[in-house]
Amino acid sequence: MIEVRGLTKRYGDVLAVDDLTFAVRPGEVTGFLGPNGSGKSTTLRMVLGLDAPTAGTATVGGRPYAAQPAPLTVVGALLDPGAVLPSRSAFHHLLALAAGNGLPRRRVDEVLADVGMEKAARRKAGTFSLGMRQRLGIAAALLGDPPAVVFDEPLNGLDPEGIVWIRQLMRSMAAEGRAVLMSSHLMSEMELTADHLIVIGRGKLIADMSMKAFIDMNSEREVLVRSPQAETLRGLLATAVDVRTENDGALVVTGLEAAEIGALAAAGGVELHELSPRQASLEQAFMDLTRDAVEYQAETKTETMTGASR
Amino acid sequence: MSRTAAWPRPGRTAKNLVPARRTGPEPSSPTTRGATFRHSLHAEWIKIRTMRSTPYLILGTLAFCVGLAALNGSSAGSEYADLSPADRAVFDPLATSLRGYLLAQIALGLLGGMVITSEYGARTIVSTLTSVPHRARVLGSKAVVLVGVALPAGIAVSLAGFLVGQASLSGAGAPRLALSDGLALRGILGGGLYLALAGLFGLALGTVIRSTTATVTTLFGVLLIVQAFAPALPGGVGEWVSTYWPPIAGGQIITGYRDPELLGPWAGLGVMAGCVAVLLAAAFVVFRKRDA
Repeated sequence: MIEVRGLTKRYGDVLAVDDLTFAVRPGEVTGFLGPNGSGKSTTLRMVLGLDAPTAGTATVGGRPYAAQPAPLTVVGALLDPGAVLPSRSAFHHLLALAAGNGLPRRRVDEVLADVGMEKAARRKAGTFSLGMRQRLGIAAALLGDPPAVVFDEPLNGLDPEGIVWIRQLMRSMAAEGRAVLMSSHLMSEMELTADHLIVIGRGKLIADMSMKAFIDMNSEREVLVRSPQAETLRGLLATAVDVRTENDGALVVTGLEAAEIGALAAAGGVELHELSPRQASLEQAFMDLTRDAVEYQAETKTETMTGASR
Repeated sequence: MSRTAAWPRPGRTAKNLVPARRTGPEPSSPTTRGATFRHSLHAEWIKIRTMRSTPYLILGTLAFCVGLAALNGSSAGSEYADLSPADRAVFDPLATSLRGYLLAQIALGLLGGMVITSEYGARTIVSTLTSVPHRARVLGSKAVVLVGVALPAGIAVSLAGFLVGQASLSGAGAPRLALSDGLALRGILGGGLYLALAGLFGLALGTVIRSTTATVTTLFGVLLIVQAFAPALPGGVGEWVSTYWPPIAGGQIITGYRDPELLGPWAGLGVMAGCVAVLLAAAFVVFRKRDA
C-alpha cells in the first residue's frame, strides 16, 4: 500500500504539488490522471524518494521509500524508459539494479523473459526502440517481485499488442493482490485498465474515487432518440436540459432518462425507431472535469485554483 | 520464482491474450534481507566495468604514457651528453619516464567523473537511486569501486612508463634507475596513488557538476592550465601556486630531483589528498541534499 499524506512540493514560487493525500490500495489498478504539468511525475518522484517533499510524507508499506532495506522488493517503478546507458546491455543494466538490492542473477533472466526480451538481453540498450525500452523499464520494475508497482506513462511508444499486454499485466498483478499505480494520457486505455482513479490538477487532488463513480459524476448522461417525426418529438421534450440534432437526424437528449423520453413520446403518439442511453467515456468525463485546471490556458493566475476545485 | 509465470507475455498471438488467471500466489512481503554497502559495491562494479569508456580510457592512457616515456627517454638521454655539470646534477630520470601523468590525470579524472556524469547524462541516476535510495551508500560505493579500478590502473601506467622510460634512457647512454631503487618505487606507487586521487577528484567534480563536458573542461583547467600559467603569475601568487596548488604539489611524487623551494613528494601528495577529501565531502553533502 502506497500512502501519501499532505504531500507538498514547492519549486521557488511554483507549488508543483499541493497538500496531496491519497492511498493506493492493493488488489486494484489505480489510475493517476492529470493534465501535463499537474504534478503527477513530481508526486511519483517523491513517493520513490528521488525528490524531497517540501512538506508531508509518502510511505510504502508504512515506511518512506528511502528507509526500505531492499526497495525493489517493496515497490517496482517505471519512471523514465529512456534512462539506460546506450552502450550497456539490457542484461547488465538489470544486473546492476538487482545487485544493489542483493537480488539473485536468476531474477534478471526471469524478468527479461517476463517482458519477452530474452533474445535482446545482450544487445546494447542504445539500439532499442522506444517500445523495447519501455519493456526493459518494466522488467526493472518487476525485478524484486514487489507487492506494489508504479508505472509512469507505461504505454508511450508501445504498439497495439504491447498496449494490450500492459493492460493484462496490470490487471493480473492487481488480481494477485498487488497495488498498481499507473499514469497515462490514453483515456480509453485507462478506462479499460483502472478500477480506481486519482485525479490531480495544478498539484491538488481533484478526485479520488472508483472509475464508475468518476464517470457518472463528471459526465452528463445522454440519450439518443431516432424518430421519423423528429420535429414533433423535439417539441415534446421541452423539459430536457438540451436537445441537439445529429447529422443523421437523430436527437441527442441530455437531462431526461430514456424511460421519460419513451413515456413522453408515447403520450404524444410519436413513433420511435431507436431509444438508447449513451455510455459516457472517461475521456469526456476527464475533459469536462479538468478543462479549467489545464495549465497553459489563457487565464490569470488569480483564477487558477477555482477551476481545479470545482 | 515461478510467481510471474501466470502473467501474460508480450509478443504472442491473440490466443494468449485472454485475461490472466487469478492463480498467482500472494505477493510476498519483502523477505530479502536488507541490502548493504556490499551489494551497492557489487552494483557499481558491474556498472564501471560495463561502461564503454572504462577500457578505452585506461588502455589509451597506458599507450600514451608508455609512448611518451620512450620518446622522452631517448631525447633526454641523447641530450644528456651535452649538459653542463650543473644541469647534470638536476637530471631526473624518474620524472623523465613518468611525465605522462600530466595527461593520465585528465583521463582518470574523466573516468571518475563519468562514473556519475554518465548516470546523469543517460538519466539512469533515477533507476540507480530507486534501487539504492541510500545516497551516501551510492556515492561511497562509486568512490570505492573507482579507486579499485584507478589505483591498479595508475600503478600499471606508472610502472610501464618507468620501465620503458628507463630502458630508453639506458639505450641513449644516460643515467637510469633500477626498479629496486627506493626512488623508483616511490615514483611508481606514488604516481598510482596520485592518479587514483585524480579519479576521485573527477568523481567529486562530476557529482557536483553533473555534466561530462563541464567536468572535462574543469579537469583541464584545474589540473593543467593553472600549472601552465603558474610561472606567469606575479611573484608571491606565482610562488604560492607553484608550491601549494594541489595538482602541482601532488605531482612532486613523481620527481626524483628535490627542488628545495617546493613541497616534498609525500607532503605534496598529502596536500592533493586533503584537497580531494574536502571536495568529496562537499560532493556527498550536495548529492544527499539535491533532488535526483
